[in-house]
Amino acid sequence: MGLRPVAALLLVAAACRQPEGVTRSSRAAIRYDQHVVAGTRTPAGDTLTNPVAGSAEAAAQGEKLFGAMNCDGCHGGGATGFAAPSLVDGRWRYGGADAALFHSVFYGRPRGMPAYGGVVSEVSIWQLVTYLRSQPLPPTVPTQSWR
Amino acid sequence: MPRRAFALRFASMAWACSLVSRTAVVIVVAAGWATVPPASAQDDGQWTRPGKDFAATRYSGLAGITAANVAGLRPVWNFSTGVLGGHEGQPLVVNRTMYVVTPYPNVLYAFDLSREDYPLKWKYRPPVDPASPGIACCDAVNRGATYADGRIVYNLLDGHTVAVDAATGRELWKTKVADLARGETITMAPLVIGTRVIVGPSGGEYGIHGRVDALDLATGRIVWTGRNTGPDSMVLARPATFRPFYDRGAGPDQAQRTWPGDTWRRGGAPVWGWLSYDPTLDLLYYGTGNPGPYNADQRPGDNKWTSSVLARRPGDGSLVWAYQFTPNDNWDYDANAENILVDLTIKGQMRRVLVHFDKNGFGYTIDRATGELLVAEPYVLVNWAKGVDLATGRPVVDSTKLTGASRGKIERICPSLEGGKSPASPAAYSPRTGLFYLSTVNLCMNWTSAQAIYIPGTPYVGATIPYTPGPGGYLGAFIAWDAASGRRVWEIREKFPLWSGSLVTAGDVVFYGTLDGWFKAADARTGKPLWKFKVGSGVVGAPISFTGADGKQYLAVYAGIGGDWALLSGDIVSNDPSDLRPPADFAPDLARYTSQGGTVWVFAR
Repeated sequence: MGLRPVAALLLVAAACRQPEGVTRSSRAAIRYDQHVVAGTRTPAGDTLTNPVAGSAEAAAQGEKLFGAMNCDGCHGGGATGFAAPSLVDGRWRYGGADAALFHSVFYGRPRGMPAYGGVVSEVSIWQLVTYLRSQPLPPTVPTQSWR
Repeated sequence: MPRRAFALRFASMAWACSLVSRTAVVIVVAAGWATVPPASAQDDGQWTRPGKDFAATRYSGLAGITAANVAGLRPVWNFSTGVLGGHEGQPLVVNRTMYVVTPYPNVLYAFDLSREDYPLKWKYRPPVDPASPGIACCDAVNRGATYADGRIVYNLLDGHTVAVDAATGRELWKTKVADLARGETITMAPLVIGTRVIVGPSGGEYGIHGRVDALDLATGRIVWTGRNTGPDSMVLARPATFRPFYDRGAGPDQAQRTWPGDTWRRGGAPVWGWLSYDPTLDLLYYGTGNPGPYNADQRPGDNKWTSSVLARRPGDGSLVWAYQFTPNDNWDYDANAENILVDLTIKGQMRRVLVHFDKNGFGYTIDRATGELLVAEPYVLVNWAKGVDLATGRPVVDSTKLTGASRGKIERICPSLEGGKSPASPAAYSPRTGLFYLSTVNLCMNWTSAQAIYIPGTPYVGATIPYTPGPGGYLGAFIAWDAASGRRVWEIREKFPLWSGSLVTAGDVVFYGTLDGWFKAADARTGKPLWKFKVGSGVVGAPISFTGADGKQYLAVYAGIGGDWALLSGDIVSNDPSDLRPPADFAPDLARYTSQGGTVWVFAR
């Protein structure tokens, strides 16, 4: 799965970098794995880094925010899906890397994901991302809904 | 929290601005109103209004198809709408043209029924905000258009009402009547009464401030706005005209004072169901949805006029009477169901009544001139209330079924919030049999509330509500109901919940559809199943009947599962690789029987 190396990289990057809670301005990450690039060359640009990646404390805060900011109203309790898709089944419409998740929450997405940038702080969004990334993914992406 | 204070300040400013501009308009235009003449000669060859007629009977006087010959019914035409999602509502047939509105992105098709193969005359494709499907709680549905004065009028999910030239497909006007940023969408079918187009927003799960707007048919200008909650000045409850049957002694501003603080401003009461109109009384009837949030601890009081029926003068919006089915609704029992207007003999007296099958499980028969409750009996299993007191109009609530966050988990409340019948699936009434025909749902629910925080444009709910099957080993039943006595006459049990509208004809045949994709006919007098055809995707629309160019009787119905079943029925959405759903635990796996699709079907003998 392509996500694991990315997560590991980000973890390392976060550990090497700045103190927790300090982030740069929220420019869109333009490199993430759901983009198809011409000629297989990715354009130069910023990559957002999760400053609290892997932090259990941040994940716990994120879980609280997931209820408090009404995320569960669409994505369901435990982010298992309701009006909006599951966020814990390993399937991603707009990319599952930390930066892509940040982008989805900060700017919103078509089909109804509201933009929370300006409503919650950037640190809070990273806590939400960390919460979602802390949820156990199925070992392989399921391909059947049958029981 | 500062964040919350900001949100509320923003909301109230927007509201104040809109009130100022709308009040000014009312003064100018209200003088130009003349009531609609009665008559509306029964035109059974066509289907010009969502519920067939002003009374919303969904009765067709055509008698070519009968119980004796319906077995020969066959599909003669179909058309893929190109849109997935719940195909609720019904086509219109006007001047030998069939008009079809799809779910988001709300395409409008016009088919020429006078020519072979029903060629497309034109197709209207409005720009609809792509954010709107995610603001709609329960799939991006649309419940149809209405026809008046050469115009097709309908609503777009992103909060606009449009009028389109019925002959050419040219857009005549487009008016913004709801705001996505405040959680408002529109899914209902408008009704045109004289020169007024009546519309209202959805968003009971988003803390909206419910209302109806009346637009001028010629220009699309908003003429008046009647709020469902708030002070009398906003509700248009004027001392000279407002005469509720049960709450006369309650004093002014009931719809404000039955709420804590200013919670009425985000208290829901959406208008996503059906409208009806009595030309003789000059009264518009509509139901209002649930109070928000679901967590009842946050809104002690009756929360008027949520989960209610309101009767207004269409000319200036004056509220004439209102009746609340479920005071302080603890169960999301929206009252958006159709109010069917009929004359019935009750205890030897002819009464002008409206009949309403509420989500709360009671079938209500109400004097439509006064709002007096005449009959209220359960049409499905009900356990949240022991009955309805006809003297006070109030339900006798079982206090062990109340649900606020402080009460913890409440087990086994019946019916579920899907309703004993969904307002999305309107009933039909036959004057020949004197019976009502409706799709019912046999589900119960467990309920756990939690504190909800209001953030405009996001869900404002505060509850977790898993369903359980009702007793009896079936999840839905199609029933015939006697509204004069409040009793079930016959029923047809179905494996899955029923979610389609009903049609009954002068041939004494009743039509409905099932979630597993069958379109069915039964004998309207006996309930004997007579015919069925698999239409491909589950049916959540409402059948209609019309006369073809050849003079024969035709039927039309949408296939296209969705609505709440897009959320609840497991893996019926197959067009999105990022979205795979496990089966629902309260029902057999519906995805083994149907998947999404959108098709208009036409049948004839």
